[in-house]
Amino acid sequence: MTRALGLVGTIALATAFVGGAVQAQTIKIGVNEPLTGAFAASGTYVVNGAKIAADEINAKGGILGKKIELVIEDNKSNPTEAAAVAEKLITSDKVPVLMGAWGSSLTLAVMPKLMEYETPMVVETSSSGKITTTGNPFIFRISPPSAVEAAAFKGIVDKLALKKVDFLVINNDWGRGTAEDFSKMMKDKGITIGLVETMDQGAQDMSAQLSKIKSSDSETVIVTTAVDQLTLIFKQAAALGLKKRIITTGGSQNPDQIIAQAGAAANGTMHLTTFLPWFPDKTPNPEATNYFITEWKKRGFEFAGCTESFRGYDGIRTAAAAIEKAGKAEPAAIKAALWDINIKGLNGDIVFRKSGPEGKESGQSQPNVYLIEINDGKVGMKTL
Amino acid sequence: MSEFLQHLVNMLVLGGTYALLGIGLTLIFGIMNVVNFTHGVLYTFGAYIMFIVVQQLGLNFFLALPVAVLAGWLLGAAIELTLLRPLRGSDIDTTMLVMIGAWIAMQSGALWIWGGVAKSVATPFPEAPLVLGPVSVSWLRLFVLAAAAMLILVTYLLINKTSLGRAMRATFQDHDTASLMGVNVDMIYTSTFAIGSSLAAAAGALLGPVYVIFPQMGDLAAVKAFAIVILGGLGNITGAVIGGFILALAEELGAGYVSSGYRDAMGFLIIIAVLIFRPTGLFARAERVG
Amino acid sequence: MRIIVTILAVAALASVPLWLRDPYLLNALITTGIFVIGAMSLNLLLGFTGQLSLGHIAFFGIGAYVSALTSLGFDIGLPGDVRLVHAPWPPIAGFVLAILVAGLCGYFVGLLSFRVRGAYFVIVTISFAEVVRLVALNWVELTQGPLALTNIPSIALPLPGFGELTLRTKMQNYYLVLAVALIAYLLIARLVHSHFGRSMRGLMENETLAVSVGIDVTRTLTIAAVISAAIAGAAGSLYAHYIRIIDPEVFAFINTVTMVIMVISGGKGSLAGPVVGGLIFGLLPVALRPVMAPEAQWIAYGGVLIAILFVLPRGIVPSLAQRFAPRRSGTAALAPVALAETGAKEPA
Repeated sequence: MTRALGLVGTIALATAFVGGAVQAQTIKIGVNEPLTGAFAASGTYVVNGAKIAADEINAKGGILGKKIELVIEDNKSNPTEAAAVAEKLITSDKVPVLMGAWGSSLTLAVMPKLMEYETPMVVETSSSGKITTTGNPFIFRISPPSAVEAAAFKGIVDKLALKKVDFLVINNDWGRGTAEDFSKMMKDKGITIGLVETMDQGAQDMSAQLSKIKSSDSETVIVTTAVDQLTLIFKQAAALGLKKRIITTGGSQNPDQIIAQAGAAANGTMHLTTFLPWFPDKTPNPEATNYFITEWKKRGFEFAGCTESFRGYDGIRTAAAAIEKAGKAEPAAIKAALWDINIKGLNGDIVFRKSGPEGKESGQSQPNVYLIEINDGKVGMKTL
Repeated sequence: MSEFLQHLVNMLVLGGTYALLGIGLTLIFGIMNVVNFTHGVLYTFGAYIMFIVVQQLGLNFFLALPVAVLAGWLLGAAIELTLLRPLRGSDIDTTMLVMIGAWIAMQSGALWIWGGVAKSVATPFPEAPLVLGPVSVSWLRLFVLAAAAMLILVTYLLINKTSLGRAMRATFQDHDTASLMGVNVDMIYTSTFAIGSSLAAAAGALLGPVYVIFPQMGDLAAVKAFAIVILGGLGNITGAVIGGFILALAEELGAGYVSSGYRDAMGFLIIIAVLIFRPTGLFARAERVG
Repeated sequence: MRIIVTILAVAALASVPLWLRDPYLLNALITTGIFVIGAMSLNLLLGFTGQLSLGHIAFFGIGAYVSALTSLGFDIGLPGDVRLVHAPWPPIAGFVLAILVAGLCGYFVGLLSFRVRGAYFVIVTISFAEVVRLVALNWVELTQGPLALTNIPSIALPLPGFGELTLRTKMQNYYLVLAVALIAYLLIARLVHSHFGRSMRGLMENETLAVSVGIDVTRTLTIAAVISAAIAGAAGSLYAHYIRIIDPEVFAFINTVTMVIMVISGGKGSLAGPVVGGLIFGLLPVALRPVMAPEAQWIAYGGVLIAILFVLPRGIVPSLAQRFAPRRSGTAALAPVALAETGAKEPA
């Protein structure tokens, strides 16, 4: 037993030594994403997007004269593992900045480690308000919390003439947070809120909730969950003859996968997204969008994954820009530099504004939000 | 009222497949006294077979079903022969733990092979549902109900009208005596496990296209199967059928009128309640197989 | 002989933070240690009483939540427009409460579950754990549901005369876990070697016979369940204050399975078994991380569990003890494991 421990210690030392030797040649960026478990599909998309960014940067000569190296670790869609992985990346691999950890519960788990080791992290996917409001100055988020989404949706709400709205949301911070933030925004506009139904993360049969909603007198349903459950919801809604207007939020919709798997049941549904891979010209940065999509297709990845992978791409570019601005690959310098960067992301400018309690603010960028509609098995911009 | 009717219709459709799951497990649990933790994996397996046959091989949906059932039968037999037979005579804890080990290995294997992304199976049924007044039901679900009913009938006939069934019932009552009477108990055990597994695979093959297919889908199915077995009484097929519908009803009404978040908790709550108040199941009198 | 081995092992474990500086590995050891405590508590039910409790993670998780909520404070609404407000207490209080509440849950589960035995008991315990998980998930006002309880304070030890020592560093937490593990080990050892312990094992061997000699089955099983749950609750509390974030996933069935694998592979019914099994299966994922994909790892664990049940059904420690125990004659030779474990009455 003691021998086993000694062996483990030796391996660790050896790895640290080798790692240290390599570090001199490259600049490392830690990537903490779910590659297995419930969020494996999304995490994989993000990582592949990240790799495109890294390769693009390296092809142009890297930053500060060195190539960047992504140290990718799997957090298994589990908060404890996410924290352990962050610790490993920071203490063993000595990364000066991380990107991660996909989803609010995973990101929340990592946050204490960032404080402990004073290392900044670019948060590319998560929507809980808590992340940028609990006073963690090492967090820099480029994806929108539901409050920002709701604010962006405000402008569209009038044009849709909503009167009474039901919610069907996934039973976690993301879903519940969306219901809260959107309800608040809508009530201010005089829209009545009807039912707020939830479904468990792993639930497959939402017929009960949908039957309830079918009988209610609302004309619109806001749905927030990931693509797998969305597919099920659309199919089950169609099977129940639910005829209300359905709008999805959250940015994890993956419309192409929905079309492929839900077929005709998806027609007529609308979606609030943060990226438009189908209409590169309508994105803030058409050139970059086209480059990204071409690269993505060249590597043989499913086009459907673009709606999530672009965040990995933007996240790495954000971190790289900060390192460049800082002039050195050190956590404190990078953290300071993150406040000064202003780059053109694939869905808007990435500029961090202060968010949270004074003295300990986190950084939050304000991405664009778009409304699309699926008709005849195709994605179209919703013209209002 | 229309909402209630809709819940009832949902319940009917779901109850049939739950019944299939329950029958498979009650046979295995009842006759072999094995806490079969691989039941959920067989359910998942049946679903993935549908995916392979329909989506990847491009064969006819209706042909794929018997293939899935047969595949489940074979896998069940293989598990029994390699893992259970050598342990014949061990205590129930050991076999249970072996089943857990097999469950972990197989589920991780499915994750490794097919990945975590959920898969869909295309079906030949129209998307538009059948509308009967205030209730709607999709053609696919009606088909599932019909197929499940047919399989339940076949199983019932198998257990009650064939010599194999008679041998299984005899083994359930007392396997030493059955063995003395000339029943090849080893073969009965293998057949029982295979049949039970094929029913689980059938349930998965039928429900896979209704929902989506992913490696952990069998976990919930397994728990529900246990709940049904406990409701209906060990080895009691009729009890399992009724139990399947009761569980579906509890889920629909619980989710519809109490709280949607606790839908899948219904199975667990039923288990606990039944075991506290009526440990032998709701149908204590009919304790025999069949 | 066994005493020497035990002392050496403890000394070796105590020395680790002095030469192992990698915080990542220390972290792995600490979380492994916490799970080892959980495994030891499971062993009490599984190995010494013969009851396969597959809902054990519920006690661990309840301990974690109780401890976290005690030290964070909460404000919830109860039926009848009553609000229950609790101000934050020191984590030490949380630790104590975790033990008490978990033990209480063990008592009720024991009472309820022992109406049924064997396979039904297994199913009830699994169901209990799942219901607790769903409650933790859905009672958002109390538990924050999936948002998780975050920023749980680290344990602070009140040192009379010195004020308070907050255990922040890895080394401090390591020694805390080691200390609790030792206490748990000694507690279980004492229990097993006592009169009560003989009742437990009598029950496991032959229940009817045990009843006929006057052993109160329900009382014995319930007490074992309470102690087992209480120790698991303590482990849960340590977990909450070390990891400092708790979400309903702590109740996942896979965590019970992990503990079961630790106990079974190490050797159920042996004191050192869960420790050995725990260290192996707690550290294996760390060692294998760079080599094997996680799914492949889990396939391997499933395979290892099956292999151990086939090849070394009593587990690693008893099999080793059997190998090294000197040959004996008579009845003693029939139960070398039990004899080696009790360490008592070695025939001349």
